Amino acid sequence: MIWSLVFMWTLVLALGLLMLQRKGGEGLAASGQYAGRQATGLIIRLPMALAAGAFLAELLPEAVMANSIGPDTGIAGILLASVLGGFIPGGPMISFPMALFIWQGGAGTPQIVALMTGWSVFAFHRVLAYETPMMGWRFSALRLAASCLLPPIAGLLALGVTTLVDIPITTTEVF
Amino acid sequence: MSDTKSKAGFRFTRTDMVFTGLALVSGLACLVVAGQDAFMRAVAGLVELALMVLPQLAAGLLIGGLIQHLVSRESIARVLGSQSGWRGLVLASGIGMVCPGGPFTSFPLVHALWLAGADASVLVSFLTAWTVIGLNRLLVWEIPFMGTDFAVLRFIVSLPLPLLSGLIARWLLAKSIMRFEPSSQNGARS
Repeated sequence: MIWSLVFMWTLVLALGLLMLQRKGGEGLAASGQYAGRQATGLIIRLPMALAAGAFLAELLPEAVMANSIGPDTGIAGILLASVLGGFIPGGPMISFPMALFIWQGGAGTPQIVALMTGWSVFAFHRVLAYETPMMGWRFSALRLAASCLLPPIAGLLALGVTTLVDIPITTTEVF
Repeated sequence: MSDTKSKAGFRFTRTDMVFTGLALVSGLACLVVAGQDAFMRAVAGLVELALMVLPQLAAGLLIGGLIQHLVSRESIARVLGSQSGWRGLVLASGIGMVCPGGPFTSFPLVHALWLAGADASVLVSFLTAWTVIGLNRLLVWEIPFMGTDFAVLRFIVSLPLPLLSGLIARWLLAKSIMRFEPSSQNGARS
């Protein structure tokens, strides 16, 4: 976890220097203001979303979840996780806490990769709220048809990588 | 993450209301259905999670702001709209990867590109890249929550996906399985 933090703030520093070189202090201030506005928008929403994620995870039958998409479920678990992912509601504020809790509940890493990819490409809430109103249902149908194989492919590739490389990728012990 | 463009400081928006309601209902359900122990466990986990995520979320928001002001949306539209073929798909994937913001910023852009003559398959690649290998989401959400190891694994196995979805979309269009023109009556809500 500490490396994530170091990486993120190094990137902030690098981009900040690039901005300083290109657009000077004004660019930095504008970027900071943008970040501030985003943060202001999140002040209520994020803690509430995190709380909802934590409570919903306690309500989810974790044992059932862990068994159905556990590390030993293989391809069947990857396919199931791909479909389940599409039904995770809301944006990243809801989905990432939920995925973390499901992962800690005992789901397999390739299965979680498939779950997150399924959530990313199917995201039925986003299709209904943004895509269909703006692009029309035919475009949504084309995109969904072109994307339906992606979550299982990602899950299978992850299965291959974790098997070949033999590096156990596990959740950080939050609890 | 919509409604975040308000300039006059904090406002309690409808989205905030939805999330607050969701938290209250799920909290109550947790207390009633799963019991007090589960409720306290969720609260304790929540506090630790918040402490872990916040410093990285702050960095993520700053990165989003910096990229927003380093890459102009107009230049993205120009380059993507004028390209097609393999180059278009690869470019769309690359641009989708670095495109910041939520659906409320990307879909107006995609719609504008479509009307400007961009290929539907290019836009499929763009949207797949934006959702699956988007750096913004990776940095702001995935690394803080899931850890660097998981994020890197998922990122690497997902790299071919935008191109693949664009190729499948192109095949579907070429086979006349799906054929259509952009409809301008769906007004972009930008």
